[in-house]
Amino acid sequence: MQNSRSATVRLPVMEHLRWRPTVNERDFIECALQSDLRVDGRHSFDFRKLKITFGREDGSSEVQLGETHVMGYVTVQLVQPYRDRPNEGTLAIFTEFSPMADPSFEPGRPGELAIELGRVIDRGLRESRAVDMESLCVVAGKHVWSVRVDLHILDNGGNLIDAANIAALAALSTFRRPECTVGGDDGQQVTVHDPEVRDPLPLTIHHMPIAVTFAYFGEGNIVVLDPTYKEEAVMGGRMTAIVNSNGDVCAIQKAGGEGVMSSVIMQCLRIASVKAADITSKIKKAVDSYTTEKALKKVKRLPTSVPQKINVTNVTMDGKGDGELEKQSVQMHSDVQQISKGDENQQSIKRNSPLTRDRIAKHKQTSTFIGGPSNWDPYSKGVTLRSLKISDLPDPPTMVKASSREDAQPMTESSNAEVNTSSAVAAGESESHEIGSPKSLKDAIKPKHKRKKKKSDRS
Amino acid sequence: MELRRPAPSPLVDNYVVPGDVVLDLSEMNNQTIKLGAGLRQECDTIEATSAGKLRQLKPNKYCIENSQKRYKPSVEDTVLGIVVDTKPDNFLVDIKGPNLAFLPVLSFEGGTRRNIPKFKIGTLIYARVVKANSIMNPELSCMDATGKAAKFGQLKDGYMFDTSTGMSRMLLSSPTCPVLEVLGKKLSFEIAVGLNGRVWVNAPAASTVILVSNAIMRSESLSGIKQRAMVENLLERLS
Repeated sequence: MQNSRSATVRLPVMEHLRWRPTVNERDFIECALQSDLRVDGRHSFDFRKLKITFGREDGSSEVQLGETHVMGYVTVQLVQPYRDRPNEGTLAIFTEFSPMADPSFEPGRPGELAIELGRVIDRGLRESRAVDMESLCVVAGKHVWSVRVDLHILDNGGNLIDAANIAALAALSTFRRPECTVGGDDGQQVTVHDPEVRDPLPLTIHHMPIAVTFAYFGEGNIVVLDPTYKEEAVMGGRMTAIVNSNGDVCAIQKAGGEGVMSSVIMQCLRIASVKAADITSKIKKAVDSYTTEKALKKVKRLPTSVPQKINVTNVTMDGKGDGELEKQSVQMHSDVQQISKGDENQQSIKRNSPLTRDRIAKHKQTSTFIGGPSNWDPYSKGVTLRSLKISDLPDPPTMVKASSREDAQPMTESSNAEVNTSSAVAAGESESHEIGSPKSLKDAIKPKHKRKKKKSDRS
Repeated sequence: MELRRPAPSPLVDNYVVPGDVVLDLSEMNNQTIKLGAGLRQECDTIEATSAGKLRQLKPNKYCIENSQKRYKPSVEDTVLGIVVDTKPDNFLVDIKGPNLAFLPVLSFEGGTRRNIPKFKIGTLIYARVVKANSIMNPELSCMDATGKAAKFGQLKDGYMFDTSTGMSRMLLSSPTCPVLEVLGKKLSFEIAVGLNGRVWVNAPAASTVILVSNAIMRSESLSGIKQRAMVENLLERLS
């Protein structure tokens, strides 16, 4: 019974894990807001604690707004521009709602919230012309820079639009694109320089549009700023105003079914402009501290002055040259060693003569190496001669034995081996001993032959 | 014949990680060991399967206390659940576990077919776990063992927030934890703590509820002395 119940009743895992407000929670949040109290102790128009950090690479940022966590990442690519705007680069916003952020986020297909967030930020940045697109043009009609901003939602604690917008602005502020040079015969060829060859260039940002989100409760009478996920579950409507620090309204997005009066909207816009100035100063402070820290790291690498830098580079070049010359001389030494004939040795000596004094010493060393083969020559010659002489001596008895019996062939091989060893032993003896050696060899062969005959008879 | 007390594990009150050998059974004879959560027998050894602090509840009972957000149902735990669906025979209750829990409609004091309580979706229930198997949905009850409602049932009004299971266990510990002690002296409020990491607070004034909930949420990573200082700071801010 229970098994069947569990089988039939089991809900989808995602649906089950979704956070739900209780009736108590919903009622309490609304009751507290009527008394101008918020459940986390903030006032109606306070932001949560904002923390901006940057990654190791330029153009990556992490923003924490209370429990909301968003990561922004900027990349560029040289592409062909659109036909209608040949002199302008492009800016695109991509959002990635990670399932880690919220159990209701599913990988793959973006939901309504993801589409809305991407479009609101894209509208705020692009249509208000916050980033200068014409400065991204390299060759009109052929090559322009395409800027891509990826936003990853890491933790959903409510009010994603504000956090994602701040992450995008912080990432764009610290991003550096590679420098390009246009040249060639026709003036159309583009050279993209490595960041280590030339310092990359920052983007031109005219102003910072800041997103500020308001939540409406109780038929629009109650307004709060920066709602948490619990307040988002209870609110009747939501409005996002994108304003810059100059007080210009760049975009407004109204979501939810609750109607709001125009006077309330005007009040929200005034509050948003104040908050936008505050957040803009925080972003610029964070970006400046990051830029200063990075500049300090660069200075630490080369603490010496400019002329010393030049000397250091010269020394390194000289070192490389010496290394190469040494390698060449080593090769010459190897060539000298390979050459064993006298004439070529003399030629190599002549070649070495124009070298410097240090190389004269090396030449002396090579002369010692040249003497090496001379030591080897008489020994090898002696070995060859003796082997030839000894090989002639046992020829007639081996032929006689072979004709008598075919089984005697391995015996002859062993006897040859013995001959070789005896010849090696006799190498150090005088000529008189050499004359006597063949007799001893003949005597040694005969008794072994007799013994082997006996063995064969027995078998 | 008196049996000697078993020698306690040297790792009691220390942090263990999965794979640590807690006890060696080959050295013990004629003794019964009861294993709690986070421990497993592997031939002659008892090993930890979760990270946390090893506790000795009785001379022969061990378990590992850890702090996490996912609740693992256990019999006789008191939990706060949210009604997510109503079926003819059961209420489906979310107790922050892997599966939804069943709350039979007859598991209330004096419950019969004629007076089944009507709970809306989202109702907060204070209940007791009566069945908890890993292969089945856990089952809850709003009665104690003697059939009385005691403290169980629906919780009206108030505010419920989430903490970790370690925080819940600390709030329910025998010597009252410093946060509740200091708050109890200054404010009058009603509190229900579920072992699944949920806490419900109710008070006549909304500001009191907000203060208590924020104090409890902030006190998890603080020591006892700092908890008292933090609560007193909040109280001064209130007045």
